[in-house]
Amino acid sequence: MKPLDFITGEIVGILLFFIGLYGLMTKKTIVKTIMSMSIMESGIFLFYITINFTEGAVPPIGQAQEAAFVDPVPSALMITAIVIGIGVTAIGLTMFMHYKQKHGITHWSRNRNQTGSGH
Amino acid sequence: MLGLLVLTPIIVGAIAYLLRGNAAKALLYIFQVAYVGLAFYVFLNVKQNGPIIWNAGGYTDGLALSLYADSISIFMVLMTAVFYIAFLVYATREPYFKHRFYFMFMALQGLMMGLFLSSDLFNIFVFLEVSTVVVSILIMFNKEKQAIYDGMIYFFVNVIGTAFLLFGIGMLYRTFGLLDIRALREAMTGLESPRAVVLPYGMMMVTVSLKTAVTPLFSWLPKAHGTPSAPPVVSAVLSGLYIKSGVYMFIRFNDMFSPVIDMHVFFFWIGFFTSLIGFIMALGQKDIKLILAYHTVSQVGLIMMGINMASEIAFWGAVYHIFNHAIFKSTLFLTAGLIYEEYGTRNVYKIRGLFKRMPWVAVATVFAILGITGAPFFNGSISKYMIAHGTYDYTVTLLLNIINLGTVMSFVKYSTMLFGKNPEEGTAKTDVYALTASVIMGVASFMTGIFGEALTQFFFNYEVHVNVDEYIQKGMVYFLMIIAGVAFYHGIVKHGGLITRIGHLELTFNGIITSMAGYFIVMVVYLSLIL
Repeated sequence: MKPLDFITGEIVGILLFFIGLYGLMTKKTIVKTIMSMSIMESGIFLFYITINFTEGAVPPIGQAQEAAFVDPVPSALMITAIVIGIGVTAIGLTMFMHYKQKHGITHWSRNRNQTGSGH
Repeated sequence: MLGLLVLTPIIVGAIAYLLRGNAAKALLYIFQVAYVGLAFYVFLNVKQNGPIIWNAGGYTDGLALSLYADSISIFMVLMTAVFYIAFLVYATREPYFKHRFYFMFMALQGLMMGLFLSSDLFNIFVFLEVSTVVVSILIMFNKEKQAIYDGMIYFFVNVIGTAFLLFGIGMLYRTFGLLDIRALREAMTGLESPRAVVLPYGMMMVTVSLKTAVTPLFSWLPKAHGTPSAPPVVSAVLSGLYIKSGVYMFIRFNDMFSPVIDMHVFFFWIGFFTSLIGFIMALGQKDIKLILAYHTVSQVGLIMMGINMASEIAFWGAVYHIFNHAIFKSTLFLTAGLIYEEYGTRNVYKIRGLFKRMPWVAVATVFAILGITGAPFFNGSISKYMIAHGTYDYTVTLLLNIINLGTVMSFVKYSTMLFGKNPEEGTAKTDVYALTASVIMGVASFMTGIFGEALTQFFFNYEVHVNVDEYIQKGMVYFLMIIAGVAFYHGIVKHGGLITRIGHLELTFNGIITSMAGYFIVMVVYLSLIL
């Protein structure tokens, strides 16, 4: 057993997920929120693609049968999830940019101003 | 067949976007009526022949991406489709009802159908993510400052919430190599140690709890549903229908984990506290939209209590309450839209004399209020009766009565709008389409009460017999509650103070995320203690 054997994709994925979560819990800047969100998602992607990883497995393409096939499902799911992740990040940034340019606010405010009257 | 239910609203929405103008409106109405017909046809089919499964690409069931319709899911589909007719009629002449809105609004319908019908976990994730985007755009539709802020909070919180779901799905896939809900349920019966699914259960329940807005994760809901400038139709869809997709997922996921994990006690109490906090916060609001939004929190708590009582009648009562809540909460949001447009204010203390100013709107509001408070003969009373029958425990009955008292109290406050002096002479002119839709929805809350027994039989194949003596007794309790509610309103609520301060408490964005993480930890610790 090599000294750094415990650093597998799954462990790193879980760590990244919680590092992202920590960022979301503590950072008040909206841009940092978006960054933390991306970190969190990267953690998930890494976790997925290393699910049931076996050394020396080959991609399930072609006719070669010498080695075990890699499970293609997680990778297929992650392609979808990455695309969705990009879309979500883009939308988040768009919202933020619009909000900043119009109202000049870059942080999550403490309190919503209580509006009880007027439009 | 099932694929059509998901796909057609989105395609028709896109066509309407391209057509614009009156042609698009006509298309939407014709489509929606035909769509209800289709949903009804599938519903009857399911009722007669049992569940329908549709597997994409002809792969074997369990491995394929599949849509699955059983009695609950097709009921949700039918409900959503029927309500959309009312919403479309309501919006006919509203200024925001333009091409961009058509597309978003119809796409949301298709996505909700996808959530109800999908049997594949990853598909559920995709539908959730896309519907989050659509909903947040609908919230900020008028691009007002507060609406954009609220929409952003909604967007980020829910995207982060769905990330938890994705992670949970990954862990399940790692253990079982399956993604289909029904196949997973079967695989779980053969599981040796339930500890293997504690983490995925916790992850997935965080998302579901966030979507159903239970304590302490409901902070985004009043922002999203009650944001000032969001169109009334959007608030009605969100509060009446979309929030129910969370409850529905809760039912599905809990069923999936039922062979190994039983958490009904935990979620019963979560439901109770949600309900309690919901109405206490609602009492502290003066913005009518926020009162209604906090009230949604409270009613969802009640539904969660019913689902987690581990009794059949309470479960179906809760499902029927999903339907009833959709009726009266949509009515209330729609009429609230008409009211604040007419009065130019959303302050509940400033709106007076609704009966004189807008008589028909007032009638619809009264019907909905009677429904939500559970007045005799109205739909709320039937479902609450069913939920109350799920237990013989004295304490639980007491808890249910406390919640109902809270509902009555906050709606006594809401109904002060109906009386008093008319600020201007004569009655106001209201858009006839919007009025018709609201009044029909209001009357529906009476009709579904009168025919409650027959409807539960028809929808769920579940027989309820309402005991007349007991029902009369509940009616008496109701009138006592009204009196208590009025007294409480004049004694405490009106003077503000502590209640108002509690009502204005809210979590910041970071607070919401922290409570999400805390909720996850509490659930995992609790699970590892009971297993």
